[in-house]
Amino acid sequence: MNVLVWTLVAPLVTAAIGGLPGPRRLKEATLVSGLAVTFLLCITTARQFLEARPPSAFADALRVDGLSALVLVLCGFVGLLSGTYGVGYLRRNEARGLVTPRLRREFYGLIPAYVFAMLLVSVSNNLGLLWIAVELTTLASVFLITFHDRDTSLEAAWKFLVLGSLGLAFALLGTVLMFAAGRGDLGEGMAALHWTRFMEVAPKLHPFTLRLGVVFALIGYGTKAGLAPMHTWKPDAYREAPSPAVVLMAVGMLNGALYCVLRVHLISKAALGPEFSSGLLLTLGLLSVVIATPFILIQWNLKRLLAYSSIEHVGIMAVGVGLGAEAGAFGALLHMTYHSLAKPVAFFSAGTLGQLHRSSDFDRIRGGTFSRAPIASSLFVLSAVIITGSPPFGLFFSEMTILKAGFFGSHVTATSVFLVALVVLFCGFAYQVGHLVLGSPREFTEDAPDPEKFDLGMATAVVAAVIAVVSAFYLPGPLIALIRAATEVVWGSL
Amino acid sequence: MTVNVLILCAAGMLVTALLMVGQKALFTAIRLYGAQSLLLAIVAATIAISEGRHELLVTAVLTVTLKAILIPWFLMRTVDRIGIHREIEPFLNVPASLLICLGLTVIGYRVSTGFQEGAEGVSHHLIGVALSILLIGLFLMVTRRKAITQILALLTVENAVFLVAVGVTSGMPLIVELGISFDVILAVLILGILVHRIVDRFESMDVSRLSNLKG
Repeated sequence: MNVLVWTLVAPLVTAAIGGLPGPRRLKEATLVSGLAVTFLLCITTARQFLEARPPSAFADALRVDGLSALVLVLCGFVGLLSGTYGVGYLRRNEARGLVTPRLRREFYGLIPAYVFAMLLVSVSNNLGLLWIAVELTTLASVFLITFHDRDTSLEAAWKFLVLGSLGLAFALLGTVLMFAAGRGDLGEGMAALHWTRFMEVAPKLHPFTLRLGVVFALIGYGTKAGLAPMHTWKPDAYREAPSPAVVLMAVGMLNGALYCVLRVHLISKAALGPEFSSGLLLTLGLLSVVIATPFILIQWNLKRLLAYSSIEHVGIMAVGVGLGAEAGAFGALLHMTYHSLAKPVAFFSAGTLGQLHRSSDFDRIRGGTFSRAPIASSLFVLSAVIITGSPPFGLFFSEMTILKAGFFGSHVTATSVFLVALVVLFCGFAYQVGHLVLGSPREFTEDAPDPEKFDLGMATAVVAAVIAVVSAFYLPGPLIALIRAATEVVWGSL
Repeated sequence: MTVNVLILCAAGMLVTALLMVGQKALFTAIRLYGAQSLLLAIVAATIAISEGRHELLVTAVLTVTLKAILIPWFLMRTVDRIGIHREIEPFLNVPASLLICLGLTVIGYRVSTGFQEGAEGVSHHLIGVALSILLIGLFLMVTRRKAITQILALLTVENAVFLVAVGVTSGMPLIVELGISFDVILAVLILGILVHRIVDRFESMDVSRLSNLKG
């Protein structure tokens, strides 16, 4: 068995051990070590790709190219961070007597299962397998959303599952239609649904059927990515799910769904020319960025605020690809990388603040968190500065790259709207964060928030923050090589 | 002969979808879904035999066991257990719904003429019916407020997608189809568990009550 298969087996084994009954210590150790091994295997896989011997498995159904390798590594990284933070997160809940053995099994089983499904998405070369993997990510996350077992978490899980399943039904229809478009030319059996096979016969695909298929597939996978107007599940799910799971959704799942969108876009680009799906992506992306603005301004909950920020960021990436310029595609992938490095800090610190106050609603947290939880508050302010795209951090550069590609290309109006929305978003975010963190400390007459402690969860958040800051000034050479290779996949296949 | 069977079954699927729109009793709606799945299986089996594509027989068997028997049984058991008011309460009245669905059917047929193989012959009917059922499923999705009826609408959309797969491509690769079936049944199970929890909590499966999260 090659390293690619092991990369997928490792989280699966971790999930199996975590899902069985057993002592708490063992589960904690398994989760962290299992996800660490997974991350190392992801790096090994990417390294093999960079050394020009890309691993593949099961007759090319699993295959690693530049785009896969980048998404795989980012996913493994976030998986490890989220697992480590998750152990600390659950310990805090255990201290308050909130964790039953059943919940513990669900948590330690579903987190690595979710990571497994996302890794499977990122290396699928087969459109059928890709669909199955995306559906698995959906199913794995449902019970993470209902984890806290509140009225609202049932509501969020229901919306998530119904909307997600509907999106996936669309994606399936899209896949079927794309398959139908290549009638006869794609061949027989499993290999007929290989993405590489589609790219080979692209010019021969039937245009009408393909166009219909691409629209359905983009809407379907766009739902999973949270592109507007199919984004409505996102704020609810992010508010209800425990923070370690939200990080997986907001980074891993977002990257994975965007990966699917890009694969479909590339087939469409090769067969129908660049305008068709680029135009769709540009529209959806711009809509996401614009729709997120008012909701950030009127937001009443910390994690929902971050959800709208995540809708904004997926919109930025879609715009970058949709601009139809090499610099735009490079900017989008750079943005994906920086976003994956920065977003965990935001969710970890927000999750910690929420846990200390026993709610993530602004009503409960607002006013002078600095004096109550200095470390978590500073980390949150730092992450807010980074994810709103302020210089000198990475997201500023990727946004500038995309803007430059837009202004020098043929989409000046769209880019202007995009720029205005970004500025408003920045101001809205600054306003919300200021209200939250600053101000005179509030008196809690009853049910006072817990004091801040430096535990494993906090340590993970600090490490994540260090990585996010350092990445602004230094990205490791291999990572840059991966971003370039991914750009080559997204742009070079015209 | 084959052509007649195919057209008859496809038309039957469309009729069951329209009956679902007009249906008030939850149990009957579930049975209609079962009948629709059975017709889908017959379509798959007929194509399998007439074109000698034996992997489509597996699809047919899977469809019968999962979608015509197992899922309807599971849904009926769920409805029975939660012992709740069994009438479907649509947002829109039946005549208006049926008129809209008639319009949706026309749109479905209109779109199907754009397909390479859809302009004439039996495929035209299969694709036309499939797209119509898809649109009707989406319509059911937005106009029904009971949790179970939303699941049924979702499954109807799923059936339409499979009809396209069978009608246009003569089936997806077998292993992919197995994976998809497995995922679908898992999704229905999880949805069933959620319905239980929702009923326990809200003492109703009216999902329009799930509206606390806004903004």
